Amino acid sequence: MLSVKNLSISFDTDEGRITPVRDVSFFVPQGKTLGIVGESGSGKSVSTKALMRLLPGNAKLSPESEILYRTKTGHELAIHSLKPSSRELGRLRGGEIGMIFQEPMASFSPVYSVGNQMMEAIRLHRGVGKGEARAIALDMLNRVGISNAAHRIDQYSHEMSGGMRQRAMIALALSAGPALLIADEPTTALDVTIQAQVLELMRELQQDLGMSMIFITHDLGVIAQIADEVAVMYLGTIVERGATRDVLRAPKHPYTQGLLKAIPSINTLQQRLNPVPGDIPSPSERPSGCPFHTRCPDAIAGVCDRKPPREIAVSQTSAVRCWLHDQDARNAA
Amino acid sequence: MTRPVLIEVNNLEVRFPIRKKKLFGSDIQELRAVDDVSFTIKRGETVGLVGESGSGKTTVGRAILRAIDPTSGEVIFHTPKEDTDLANIGGEDLRKFRQHMNMVFSEGPVRLSSMAADRLRLFRSKMSLVFQDPYSSLNPRMTVRDIIAEPLVASGMMTDRAAIDERVRDIAERCKLNLEHLRRFPHAFSGGQRQRICIARALVSRPDFVVCDESVSALDVSIQAEIVNLLKDLQDEMGVAFLFIAHDLSVVAQMSHRVAVMYVGKFAEYAPTEKLFFSPKHPYTYALLSAVPRADPDAAFNPIKLQGEIPNPLDAPTGCRFSTRCPYATERCSANVPEWREIERDHFVACHYAEDFNFTRPKSQN
Repeated sequence: MLSVKNLSISFDTDEGRITPVRDVSFFVPQGKTLGIVGESGSGKSVSTKALMRLLPGNAKLSPESEILYRTKTGHELAIHSLKPSSRELGRLRGGEIGMIFQEPMASFSPVYSVGNQMMEAIRLHRGVGKGEARAIALDMLNRVGISNAAHRIDQYSHEMSGGMRQRAMIALALSAGPALLIADEPTTALDVTIQAQVLELMRELQQDLGMSMIFITHDLGVIAQIADEVAVMYLGTIVERGATRDVLRAPKHPYTQGLLKAIPSINTLQQRLNPVPGDIPSPSERPSGCPFHTRCPDAIAGVCDRKPPREIAVSQTSAVRCWLHDQDARNAA
Repeated sequence: MTRPVLIEVNNLEVRFPIRKKKLFGSDIQELRAVDDVSFTIKRGETVGLVGESGSGKTTVGRAILRAIDPTSGEVIFHTPKEDTDLANIGGEDLRKFRQHMNMVFSEGPVRLSSMAADRLRLFRSKMSLVFQDPYSSLNPRMTVRDIIAEPLVASGMMTDRAAIDERVRDIAERCKLNLEHLRRFPHAFSGGQRQRICIARALVSRPDFVVCDESVSALDVSIQAEIVNLLKDLQDEMGVAFLFIAHDLSVVAQMSHRVAVMYVGKFAEYAPTEKLFFSPKHPYTYALLSAVPRADPDAAFNPIKLQGEIPNPLDAPTGCRFSTRCPYATERCSANVPEWREIERDHFVACHYAEDFNFTRPKSQN
């Protein structure tokens, strides 16, 4: 239902042009969840903001970038070529694609009640009257498990606790009935017991509403619980993608392997951890060739630092960008 | 492993007055951030302190360092020579004591000539703190060398420039900082490097005790692993004790010898790491552990469902604070506050029914 091809995003800054997202391709199948994992600066948020054209003015998509979306009514929309103020884009944001963020406090307006903001979205996208919009909003708040919704609907976001605010945020994003929900680190600011509640809620709602989801996080534990498919990003490139089970159980890319080895577990105590050696280079000093070669334990001198690897399918469901898995091209070069 | 006790906390209580504006005048309510907390930290040991946001973890850490004043209770720092009650240090002495604790940035460097040679001098170099955010805790206008040296200069512990340089280089090397970098300013460094600078600054005076307040929480996993290893190495080399405050249980599991769990201002459980993670006695500890998702799609994930939200500490439940969300709560729980008791050697818990629970979690092989 959503497919992204060769997406590259660059920014013109005072220090020259930087390209935090390079040649990213992925697709989200109907009713499934795509997880995007990566450390800070890997471009996971920037690339999903492009899906709703929410990038700042100095951002440029490369000419090859293609974002295709199939709307609820079934026609194909080329998001990358929509005009910034077009009506299609207005309908797309919220109505077709909803978004929730890490910090719900920043996503609600402090001067309108939560119900007021939900009703605005519902009336805009569903074309219903005030009374009906309020009923839908109330139903939505009940669904996300907010107790005493009839009272809460007239409260302001600051009157709610963190977990409740995040539920209200989910209710707001879902109230306009989007077919795709983009969740950008929605549980990162929450405590574990609340995180568990919110994850379960999102899974349930997805099943009930048949919605597709893009779930962005840096936490591989959360990915394992929520995502059907996963894309691992490093310095603006998807280095590995595939079915969550395959990627987490048998990672092919040295970066994915390193990440999985670095995370501590609550079932092993007092262990020394295995960090991925080195620091993430800054986007303005992106290494030549494979972006990971400076930290890769298996880097092949003269190959990995020369040319970026292409994406190779390693099984029916997964693909990796790594010279180690591309014997043919290595021989040719 | 018998280590002497370093810090003894007895019935610590911290209350904050909260002013609530009304149409005319205002009401003052008391928020009990820390309520009757007692525990010990041994020399060279890491004590993990976990709990959800607002549970009072940070307040405990700061009250031990006397960065905030405890309302009642005592904090005793056992030095090899004499025991000193930190809760009873006052006035001018306290101001000087704080200077060493890296907390009073706004006062600037202290003139060496105005330092008084009282007994607090002993302490100035003995405790320190590493913050969560390595971006906001380094002065952008000081070189890395000056940042690391500041505790020595500010406390008047060392005055000789060459000796200070020597000490800074030594700790920088231990923290795996490039010595070339000492002349640079912090803006040039990544998050992981900055946190290493913060750790070097905290350890330069060779303290006995350092509070790490969410010190690895803001870092990416690969860097977090590096900092956790570094802290462990430094502890082995220097024998420093850590109070490691974090909300991430899996990191605490690697760092700590003993772990305390806090819930709405009170300790729920305090036990050696192995016991706390594999045979917890408090239902809240067990619920917390069950809610941590694992990066294994085949691992069972059945978090204990807790009712509702964490209570507001201004309006804490009567009896056991966890009684409103506990799946096992009875009338007794909402009526009586459970006693903080030692049910086995070194295993403390505050639950009426601790002996009846037999929570176990499987250990993994790797």
